[in-house]
Amino acid sequence: MKSFIFICFLLFSCISTFSQTNITLIMTPRPAANLSEWSARKETITLIITNMQDNRQVKIKASVKTSDGTQISSTDMNIAPIVSIPHGTSMQNASVVFPLEAQVFTGKYQSSLQRSGKLPSDSYQFCVELDSAANLAPITPTVCKTFFVAGNQLPILMKPYNGEQLEPAKAQTAIIFRWTPVVPRPQNVIYYRIQVFEVLNGQQPVQALRSNQPLLDQTITAQTQYIWQPQLGLIREPADSAGSFTEQSNRFIWTIQTLDEQMQPLPADGNYEGRSEPSEFTIGNKNLPAKQKKTSG
Amino acid sequence: MFRSRLKLPFLIGMSFFLMSSLHAQKKPVSITGTAGVTYEGYGLDRKPTGFTGYMPRRPWNQVRFNFSPIFKFSKNFSMPVNINLAAIPTNFAGPFSGIHHQSIGQFLTNPMNNFGLNPTYKWAELQLGTQYLKYSDLSTGDIGIFGAGFSLKPGDFRIKFFTGISQQGINYAPLPLPGVQGAFKRTHYMFSIGKEKEGDYLISFNLSKGKDRINSVVTPPIVTLPQEGFTISMVINKDFKKGWYLKTEEAKSIYTKNENDPLNPLMKSFQPFIEARNSTTSDYAAQLSVGKKSKNFDIGLGSKYIGAGFQTIGFPYLQPDRFEYTVNTRFNAMKNRTNVTASIGQRINDVSNSTIRAKQFIGSLNWFTQFNDKFSLNVSFNNFGFSTNGYTPSSIPSIKNVSVDAGINPTYTWINSKMSQTLSFSYNYSNYKETYILGSSVTSQLNNTHTLLLSYIPVYFTRKISPDFSALYFYNDASMAKISFTTLSAGISFPAKKDRIKLRGQLQYTLGKFNSFTPDNNFIASCNIDYKINKKLTWTSYLSTNYYKYGNQLGGAYIGANYLESILRTGLKYKF
Repeated sequence: MKSFIFICFLLFSCISTFSQTNITLIMTPRPAANLSEWSARKETITLIITNMQDNRQVKIKASVKTSDGTQISSTDMNIAPIVSIPHGTSMQNASVVFPLEAQVFTGKYQSSLQRSGKLPSDSYQFCVELDSAANLAPITPTVCKTFFVAGNQLPILMKPYNGEQLEPAKAQTAIIFRWTPVVPRPQNVIYYRIQVFEVLNGQQPVQALRSNQPLLDQTITAQTQYIWQPQLGLIREPADSAGSFTEQSNRFIWTIQTLDEQMQPLPADGNYEGRSEPSEFTIGNKNLPAKQKKTSG
Repeated sequence: MFRSRLKLPFLIGMSFFLMSSLHAQKKPVSITGTAGVTYEGYGLDRKPTGFTGYMPRRPWNQVRFNFSPIFKFSKNFSMPVNINLAAIPTNFAGPFSGIHHQSIGQFLTNPMNNFGLNPTYKWAELQLGTQYLKYSDLSTGDIGIFGAGFSLKPGDFRIKFFTGISQQGINYAPLPLPGVQGAFKRTHYMFSIGKEKEGDYLISFNLSKGKDRINSVVTPPIVTLPQEGFTISMVINKDFKKGWYLKTEEAKSIYTKNENDPLNPLMKSFQPFIEARNSTTSDYAAQLSVGKKSKNFDIGLGSKYIGAGFQTIGFPYLQPDRFEYTVNTRFNAMKNRTNVTASIGQRINDVSNSTIRAKQFIGSLNWFTQFNDKFSLNVSFNNFGFSTNGYTPSSIPSIKNVSVDAGINPTYTWINSKMSQTLSFSYNYSNYKETYILGSSVTSQLNNTHTLLLSYIPVYFTRKISPDFSALYFYNDASMAKISFTTLSAGISFPAKKDRIKLRGQLQYTLGKFNSFTPDNNFIASCNIDYKINKKLTWTSYLSTNYYKYGNQLGGAYIGANYLESILRTGLKYKF
């Protein structure tokens, strides 16, 4: 992406020597769903400005349109910040081009933004032009780019389901974990990090997740199933839970952390760890009569 | 830190001693509960040198202290204490992940440790130290908070307040690897007022606020941003005659994902509690359950809606933007010889959008019948379907996943004057199909898993020995991977020294095979010894060893790679 921006930057520098002020818009085709995150991610929007005059005071007029061209937001030019553009070529990113506090959205889009911070999943156009700060007259033509926006839905844990009790004789050999894939499927490779934590006596499940070393910590490429050989030895039966506290616990909590191609957590809706809502399971004999449970334990 | 590590066990030891003395002197103060200390040692020996195919999964050494007595000073005045400490931090997930050297403040608020004190006089309870307070399902959260508050229950009224810290400021540190992710200091306030009559009704209004302190760290976290959240909720529960019940909660949250964002008057604030910024969202959540419970028949409908922008500071992993409902039932028939539980439901994710909305179908059935004293049968079925639309112009495929599990488990028991013998067989079939569709391109992966288990449990009426045996065969067939495990397992438990010692042991051998590679061998031996030193004091020990030897699947220098994993846990438990 950096080299692409650099080439554009050079090309544009050459072309724009023939005009007064020109702009080129570069935008990632699938930006973050939360519009407030655009300003923090420099790659989301890059506006290259070439100014052949002396320093100019301008305001950037940005708008978002649906794929059929209906405008759904525009910059409130009364509160848009004044940007000083120097002679020559300069670059601006989303924090200047698209300050959210100066954007006015229409109808259901404003409502969606207030509720979720996101636009409804769909294709949109992002358009931008430079206006004179003095009289708000356009000084460049409007340039647009198309983008698709969709919030990440982190995986949902399927198996073992929340609260499931597994039979010890089976669970001591293999436990199958399944989860749903992250949606929408990212264009680049995705990794799922499965972690299983033992819930010790006196611990709350989420407390165990946030404090214990995981018994299983495995990173898997793209697949949504993992077969675990726990290799845990004796597991305390639920009936004995009030007794010995040194045995292997029978309560576990597991979660999936979704990682992007750089092995960084994939954020979703303020969950910066990229961790799915965890699920608990226990290992114990549910079908054996109580007498047998007691005697076999 | 070292000094503080020594101080804590010393204080616990002193308290332990004092309470033993009080108990021995039969003072008017009565004490119940437990106290204990546990040591856990872990060893992992991998061969050949440099083999990292199996990583350590426990701390090399760990000491845990537990001190949970309940002091009862009079009929109306009691004080439960809950102190659980671990000497060495092992946080892997959450705000403390990677931390090694803790300040006192960080030690106190680390979720590894609990320091809770709840003096209670009649209907008034003071809540001090670490508390896990869940005022309701949608408001306060499921994390521990270190602070102070109260819970008052005069008559039918309920008034609660608590304030504290769930995490201290932790500086981001990338080195040494894996680094410390860092966290902002997070403060919480919560309040609840309501009326309750147990077994009749509950109505309560809850309010919860949490805020990260931006200046609490010198080097702020890279991934996590400072957040702020405010939630209000109303709970109405009502129990009717003949076992009918209704439970509801409606909540609204206002949440800022990044406190560094500029203020934004176009977003919704809730002054004076929270002022809106660019990343502030404001949304609703609700849940409803209605049904009937009785001895032989239950039926219930449960539903939950979490809006796309609904977020609370106390539920860090709550997944928003979903609507789900399930119908659950349970009934007993044939004079309680048949028990059936079943549920069916649907979950819709990304409810706020239609383009890539995902749907899940969930259905399960478990049927148990005890035909006579000797023979019982359990049948289970689970289905989980997931589908989402794609978006071809952006190369987003549609996805269809279906997971089906079915099992049958007959059990036969025969009894004579000396013993009972139980023979149990189970077969489980699990099918998982994952399909991606993009235009005319369809890719799918199919997994079929078969599990067969045979177990035999003899119970002697005249002897104290209790053995059990099992044999298992597991086979997973996927397009690129065929995995099989054959496991033989035997366990035994018996008392010794006039029942003062209870011994349990287990041996397990597994032969694992992956595709056409030579098999892996796994041997696990474990035992547990509980020694009752006297009426109050028990010494428990657990030893486990796990030897795993790979076949030739790792190739090259790692053909025959192996590891030996050992665990020793030993501890003293005192029962007041």
